[in-house]
Amino acid sequence: MGIEPGRLQFSWISSAESTKFVEVVNEITTVIKALGPHENFVKREASIA
Amino acid sequence: MKVIKIDKKEWAKGLERLSKTYQLFGPAKHEAFFVFKALEDGELPDLDVQNTRLSPRSVIYPQSEKMFEYTLDEDQEDHHILKEIDKEYSSRAIIGIRPCDAKAFLLVKRNFDAPEYKDPYWIKSYEATTLVGHGCNAPCSCCFCTTAGCGPFHEEGLDILLVDVDDTYLAKIITEKGDRLLAAAGWDTKTDTATNDPIENMKEAAEAKITSMVSTDQLKDKSTTDLFEASFWEDVSFACINCGTCTYVCPTCWCFDIQDETHGLSGIRMRNWDSCMYPLFTFHGSGHNPRDTKTQRVRQRFMHKLKYYVDKYDNGIQCVGCGRCVRFCPVNIDIRRVCDLMNSFEL
Amino acid sequence: MLSYIDKIKEISRRLLKESKVDMVIGFRKGTVVMMNEPCFVKTVADVDKLVWDSNCGINLANYLANRTEKIGIVAKGCDSRNIVTHIIENKIKRDQVVIIGVPCKGMIDRHNIEAMAEAEIQEVIETDDTIQVKGAGFEKTLDKKEVLQENCAICVHRNPVIYDELVADEVKEQTDVDRYEDVRHIEALSPEEKWDFFEDLLSTCIRCYGCRNACPLCYCPTCFVDESRPQWVGKSQDSTDIRTFHFLRAYHCAGRCTDCGACERACPMGIKVRLFTKKLEKDCLELFDWEAGLTLEKRPPLDTYRPDDPDEFIR
Repeated sequence: MGIEPGRLQFSWISSAESTKFVEVVNEITTVIKALGPHENFVKREASIA
Repeated sequence: MKVIKIDKKEWAKGLERLSKTYQLFGPAKHEAFFVFKALEDGELPDLDVQNTRLSPRSVIYPQSEKMFEYTLDEDQEDHHILKEIDKEYSSRAIIGIRPCDAKAFLLVKRNFDAPEYKDPYWIKSYEATTLVGHGCNAPCSCCFCTTAGCGPFHEEGLDILLVDVDDTYLAKIITEKGDRLLAAAGWDTKTDTATNDPIENMKEAAEAKITSMVSTDQLKDKSTTDLFEASFWEDVSFACINCGTCTYVCPTCWCFDIQDETHGLSGIRMRNWDSCMYPLFTFHGSGHNPRDTKTQRVRQRFMHKLKYYVDKYDNGIQCVGCGRCVRFCPVNIDIRRVCDLMNSFEL
Repeated sequence: MLSYIDKIKEISRRLLKESKVDMVIGFRKGTVVMMNEPCFVKTVADVDKLVWDSNCGINLANYLANRTEKIGIVAKGCDSRNIVTHIIENKIKRDQVVIIGVPCKGMIDRHNIEAMAEAEIQEVIETDDTIQVKGAGFEKTLDKKEVLQENCAICVHRNPVIYDELVADEVKEQTDVDRYEDVRHIEALSPEEKWDFFEDLLSTCIRCYGCRNACPLCYCPTCFVDESRPQWVGKSQDSTDIRTFHFLRAYHCAGRCTDCGACERACPMGIKVRLFTKKLEKDCLELFDWEAGLTLEKRPPLDTYRPDDPDEFIR
C-alpha cells in the first residue's frame, strides 16, 4: 500500500523469551531508524477547504 | 430582459478577460464522467456535457469546510476560544451550470438564508457567485425537471442563461449580477439584435423531450402521519443499502455534521456533508437512535424532500428533477416511483 | 440465462405456496436501463414481478444478515459463496434459507457500456450472447463477453457452490483466465509509486460508503469509521482519512471476499475498489490455498491456525 518493506514486522515471542524480545526490539528499531520517519500516513491538520 | 449574441469565436477571449476578476468554475471531463472544477488558466468549460456526475453544490458549499480554529496552548491569551478563519469570498462564476442545479441553490437558500438563521459561510459564498446557466437541449431520460418545478431552460436562480445556437451563444441576462459579469467579459454587446424567439422555441422543444414525470399535486393535502405510517415503506426501502450516494449527488441536500479535530495544541472546527442514510446521523449522545433502522432512514429522506419541505415552505418539493439519484443509486431506488406512491397514497 | 426466469418463478411460487419460506429475495425490473432492483416477494401473486437477466449483479446475500424469517433466495455463484460465508460467520442459519441456485454467465458492466456509447443509452435489448444498446442517433450490438463486469470476466465459480434448487444445468467454469493481472501490476510498483497509485485511485472518493454497504461482508453493527466513542477515523475529505477507510475495510474482508464485484458496481464515482480486496484474495489463495465461501466444512484462514503456516514468525 506504499509502506516500505521492513517498516512493518511480526514476531512471535513467548513471555518466557525475554532475550528474544530484546533482540527483536533492537533489530526493529535499527531497521526503522535507518528508514527514517514515515511521512505519508501521518495526518496533520486536515487538508480541506 | 436583454438577450445578447456571443460569437463562439469570441467566447474564449471573453472568458480570459473574465478570469482576471472572477475565479471560474465549469464542467470538465474526468475519465468517464464530468465534474465541476476550478478552471485553470486558459482552460475552457466543456459545455459538451449532458450533466456532471456530482452537482456543483460543492463550489458554494464544500463537502468538507473549515469553520473555526483554536489553540489549546494555555500560554496563548486566546486559548480555548473559537476564532473565525479568514476566508476568501472574491467574485467567482460557475459557467455552464444546468438550470436545475441553479434552481437547487434557491431551494437550499430557504434553509441557509432564513429569517431566523443565517449561515454566513454559505451566504457569503453564494453571494460571491454568478451563475451562468446552459440551456439543456438534450435532457437525459431520467430528468423530470418539468414536473419538479424546474425545466431545461428554467431561469429562476440563474444570472445568465446561455443558449447554444449554431455559431453563437445567445445570452439572456436575468439579473444585475449577470449584467456585471457580461461587462467584465467584454463580449461585443452592441449586436443587441437577437430576440427572445429562438430561445422560446428551443425551450419548448427541450421541454417536449422530457417524458419522465412525477405528480406532486396531492402531497400537501396528504396527512403527514398517514404517509409516515404508510405500508409501502418496507417495500420501498428493502433494496436500500444506506449508502450516501443519493444525498451526495443531490444538488438540494444540505445536511452537515460538525467535527473538531485537534492536532497537538491547535485544532480546527469543520463541517462535513452528512447523510440521513447514515446510522450516525441521528445517533443521540445518550446512545439512543430515533432512526435506528434503514426503513426509518429511507422514509426520512423521502418525507423530508416530498412532504416536510412542501409543508414548511409551501413552495414545492425539495427536488429539481435532475435525475442524479435515479441514475446513480446502486440498487435502483427511484424517487419518481416513491413520489407517485406518496402522491397517490390512500389509507 | 434469460430463460432462467420461468424456473425461478416456478420454484418461488412453490416455496411460497407450500409455506416453505416467508419470502423470496430476488430482483424486479429496474426503472433505468441496465439496472434491476433487489426486492422481496411474499405472496404467490407477486412472484410475476421477479426478473432475471444480466443486470442482476447486486449480491443478494447482503440482504440476509440477521434476518429471522425463512427465506428463499436467488443466488449466483458469488452470492452462494457469500451465503456460505454468512453461515460460517453465524449471520444466518443454513436451515433458514432455501437457495435457488443460478448458474451464472456473468453480469454486464453498465458503467463501462455507458462509457462506450456515443450518447445516453435509452434502450438495451439482451439476448444470450449479445447486448444491443440504442440511443438518440446510434445503435450497436455488443458481444456480451466483451462487456462483462471485470470480476465476472475472470470468475471461476459461476455455478452456485451450495443450493437447494438449481434453475438450470450447470454452466462450464472458466479455466483460462488470468485473475490477478492488475494486482501483479501494483505489486511490481515501488513503495512511492504504490502510494501515488492509490492516491490517484481514491482521488474522486466522496465517502458515500456505497462500496462498504453493498458488500455482504460489511455487516458490523458499528463500522470503525462510524464509531464515535472513541473516533478512530476523521470524517472529512482529508486524503489520509479516505485512504484509512479503504485500506482498513479491505483488511476486514481478507479471507472472506469472494470478488463478487458488489463494491465496484455500487461506486457512483467508478473507483476500482476491488483492487484493494483482490490483493488480499490473491494472498489467501497463494499462501493458504484458500478461496472464500466454497465450503461449510473448513474454517477460514484468519480464524484458524496451521502448523505449516507460510509465515515463519508464527510457526
